[in-house]
Amino acid sequence: MRHLIPEFERMKERFPEGFDSSLVLPCLHRIQADRGYVAEEDIVGLCEYLSVPRIQVEEVLSYYTMLRREGIGKTHLQVCRNIACSMRGAEGVIEHACKRLGVKPGETTADGKFTLSTVECLGSCGTAPVLMVNDAYHENMTLEKLDALIADLSAGGGNS
Amino acid sequence: MPAADGMVVFTASDKVKARRKATMEFITLNHPVDCGICDKAGECTLQDYHFEYNGGASVSRDAKTHATKHFDLSDRIVLDNERCIQCTRCVRFTREISKSNGLGMLDRGDHSIVRPSADGSFAKDAYSDNVIDLCPVGALLAKDFLHKARVWYLKATPSVCPGCERGCGVNLWHRKDEWMLRSPRQAARNDGLDRVTPIENPAVNGPWVCNKARDLPKLLGRVRAAGALFKGAPAPLEAAVLEARALIAEAKRPVAVVSSWASNEELAAFKAALGGRLALVAKRDHEPQPGEVVQDDLLIRADKNPNAAGVRAVLGECGTEVPKDADLVLVWGEGFDFRAVPASAKIVFLNAFLAPENGHADVFLPVSIQTERSGHYTNFAGVTSRFERCFALPPGVLHAEDLFGSLVGNGRGA
Amino acid sequence: MPGRQLIMDFEVTPTSHTLADYKARGGYETLVKALGMAPADITKEVTASGLLGHGGAAFPVGRKWGVMKPNPGEIHYLCANADEGEPGTFKDRWILEHAPHLLVESMLITSYALGVRHAFVYIRGEFDLPCRRIQGAVDEAYAAGLLGKPVPGSDFTLDIVVYRGAGSYVCGEASGLITSIEGRKPYPRNRPPRLTVKGLFQKPTVINNVESLANITGIIRMGAEEFRKVGTAKSPGTQLISISGHIAKPGVYEVEYGYSWAKFLDEDCGGMLHGAKMKCVVPGGISTKVLTRPEIENLTLSHESVNPAGSGLGSGGMIVIAEGTCMVRLLQVLLRFYHHESCGQCTPCREGMGWMHRIIDRIVAGEGLPEDIERLYAISHANDGTTICGMGDAAGFATVGILNKFRDEFEYWIANKRSKMDGRLECRA
Repeated sequence: MRHLIPEFERMKERFPEGFDSSLVLPCLHRIQADRGYVAEEDIVGLCEYLSVPRIQVEEVLSYYTMLRREGIGKTHLQVCRNIACSMRGAEGVIEHACKRLGVKPGETTADGKFTLSTVECLGSCGTAPVLMVNDAYHENMTLEKLDALIADLSAGGGNS
Repeated sequence: MPAADGMVVFTASDKVKARRKATMEFITLNHPVDCGICDKAGECTLQDYHFEYNGGASVSRDAKTHATKHFDLSDRIVLDNERCIQCTRCVRFTREISKSNGLGMLDRGDHSIVRPSADGSFAKDAYSDNVIDLCPVGALLAKDFLHKARVWYLKATPSVCPGCERGCGVNLWHRKDEWMLRSPRQAARNDGLDRVTPIENPAVNGPWVCNKARDLPKLLGRVRAAGALFKGAPAPLEAAVLEARALIAEAKRPVAVVSSWASNEELAAFKAALGGRLALVAKRDHEPQPGEVVQDDLLIRADKNPNAAGVRAVLGECGTEVPKDADLVLVWGEGFDFRAVPASAKIVFLNAFLAPENGHADVFLPVSIQTERSGHYTNFAGVTSRFERCFALPPGVLHAEDLFGSLVGNGRGA
Repeated sequence: MPGRQLIMDFEVTPTSHTLADYKARGGYETLVKALGMAPADITKEVTASGLLGHGGAAFPVGRKWGVMKPNPGEIHYLCANADEGEPGTFKDRWILEHAPHLLVESMLITSYALGVRHAFVYIRGEFDLPCRRIQGAVDEAYAAGLLGKPVPGSDFTLDIVVYRGAGSYVCGEASGLITSIEGRKPYPRNRPPRLTVKGLFQKPTVINNVESLANITGIIRMGAEEFRKVGTAKSPGTQLISISGHIAKPGVYEVEYGYSWAKFLDEDCGGMLHGAKMKCVVPGGISTKVLTRPEIENLTLSHESVNPAGSGLGSGGMIVIAEGTCMVRLLQVLLRFYHHESCGQCTPCREGMGWMHRIIDRIVAGEGLPEDIERLYAISHANDGTTICGMGDAAGFATVGILNKFRDEFEYWIANKRSKMDGRLECRA
């Protein structure tokens, strides 16, 4: 993470003074965007940089669903399964994605291309069902659209 | 909601009772009812509260959830996550009191799990064992006490930790008379301490003690000096006392090296009997050990002896070095460097534990330890605390307090 | 559109979210007006407007501000709550995506009124586009000299940090949000002290929902009196309603308080999906109790109309449910969600959510027991008022709401080991 410190320093400028502890979450986001996950050396470096106790960073990492300490597949498919999406066919989408990718939710395909996850409400209920491809929302998902999306991504197409 | 002026709190309305009963149901929902093999049984807050506020069998029809058992929290403490009711007292202790930030609650919801920080700060926390007392259930247990005894076999004798000049109030736990172990293999444990817990004393230690207090069973359980010696040769106790008295009487420039582990009572007896006769040197019986926290902002003090202040109060200012012209040195207690004794001087040595130096003295007399007598220590801040006797005096051992009167007089005759 | 518009009063185009477009619509003119007023007069105006919070509890915004006594020299903070996580709710997302400068201008005005030097927009981590939009707007405002240094023509300076969450429902609870900004697990805090007395890093902090804040600019621009002409006497103004589920035209609608609920559903939202019949509706986020079609027939969309019916408009997350939908499966989805999101701090919620989830899973697996229904009630009731934040209560409300009205479906599944409705959540053509 050390190469990101100049960026963290710029981030600090808009924070009030004495808010180093607040930077834990933004820094972890940035580290994860950089590396794909948060590694041991990142935790050590961050604790030192922000002067926060190690356990605080471990707690934060373990609590929030978006943060991870291990790498995942190149493309992260996250299907919402909360109420509005389930009412518009999310369960079918999940089932279809499992079948197409040959994995269960929480697993990564053998070729490391896809990780499939189920998530709770993404705040996209009006355009349900929704799935996220990495950071981007793909709304009003249908099985046909999902097939096309997976085919496109498998072929190495754009990841959003 | 915190209490406030003028607030009226209902603690026994029907609604409160119902919610309390329900909350007990929640707490015990996934708590294993393994009280029969749990060391906390008998002093478990959850047992007490369940008895007081619920009392019924579980209404759950679902299997209990599972979590890690026998997790090594440190080399001192074992954690059972199934028993843990996630109160976070231990986590807050390391955050707010000991400030080691050694523990955390990882994950969320009913998967939340207590874990030590990966940097090992909990293992280095000199106050870590307090979380065992804080734990309301049997989730955090001392490895030293694990499966050693049901707590109702034990009694707590109020005492004072001699580990430093703070003099924390402690309960020393040992077997009740009616629960003495009979098998020869185990009988030795009857005279030993099983565990140590703090006694809350706002003037001295608040509700805490450091891990050194927890380790008193080891410190006080060291092998004892079994009998009197003349230059290493076993001697009858009476003869040894008479010999010591004669040596003192014959000496022209006798010196006493006084123990800072002595109680105020022992010091007073010493002063009354021998105070005018011997020059005085104060001794630190114990010094900080490698790896030990020397001093901190919470409790731990650098002087690792309980009664240096008592020595000053009873005997006044003492010397720090044995005079070069001393012809007899009475050494009282551990931690003395015998190289400081002039080569020609006689040595009378009073010690409780087996040590190589015992055999080098002209006269060696075995004396009692703190758990075999009662008395008082005065701590660095001038607070005097009392400790009670736990065990009878072992055969062949003297109380120093009784001994000093016998050391006054002339010659070897009775 | 159902009534007059105060927020969605412009045409959405590919550039309508930019500073240039916002200025062309009169953006940041109200800021100039506000900076000419005494800070206390702004609070007075907002209090007079009767604006009710749009986060779910409908707490009067003016009263919340009133608790914080701006004290020159003392530190105060403002947080815009953009952690929109209540299932069924996606209306703040509309503001963040399409009117981010409205939020920034409102935050400038609010901060000026409350003596705030540093403000935060706490946005849920999954909101990628909304996050980029609000960050973009904040960056534009910095570049335009509106943030980070004194606003031209005044000595008032504000910094805004867009703070991304990382996936946690309880961060939407104000004290959980604050704890999250402090860089820790978002355990909510006991009140009192109120957050307006001891909030972020123990300093007085006002936390308002994005939509609540977005209304501030309009209120100051038109004045409280004009604002009160919109909506009803007890529910002034408008509410953004995000509607989803088995409805023909889901989306975000700005509804003037007092508008007919039935008309809103049948006309504005195009009626039911596939012409189905309506079974019930979740009025404002899943934590509000469901109402059946007959129950809402004569209600208007206003707090004074919906609250007496035993529910509330909450966060405006309206979910319409068609006949034939299995309410047992629906509750299963909800309880799985609550179980997943319980932070674990308070015992009744931590243990109760998992317990309810296990019970409903068991019922769906055909292993339900007749006593399970009473158990779900008991767990819900035991969560009422026994937890630090409202999540335990909310899960209880949702559960009781469904059990009260659709108990027969639960009894049927327990007795027959299958759904009375074929276990469907979808509404097929």
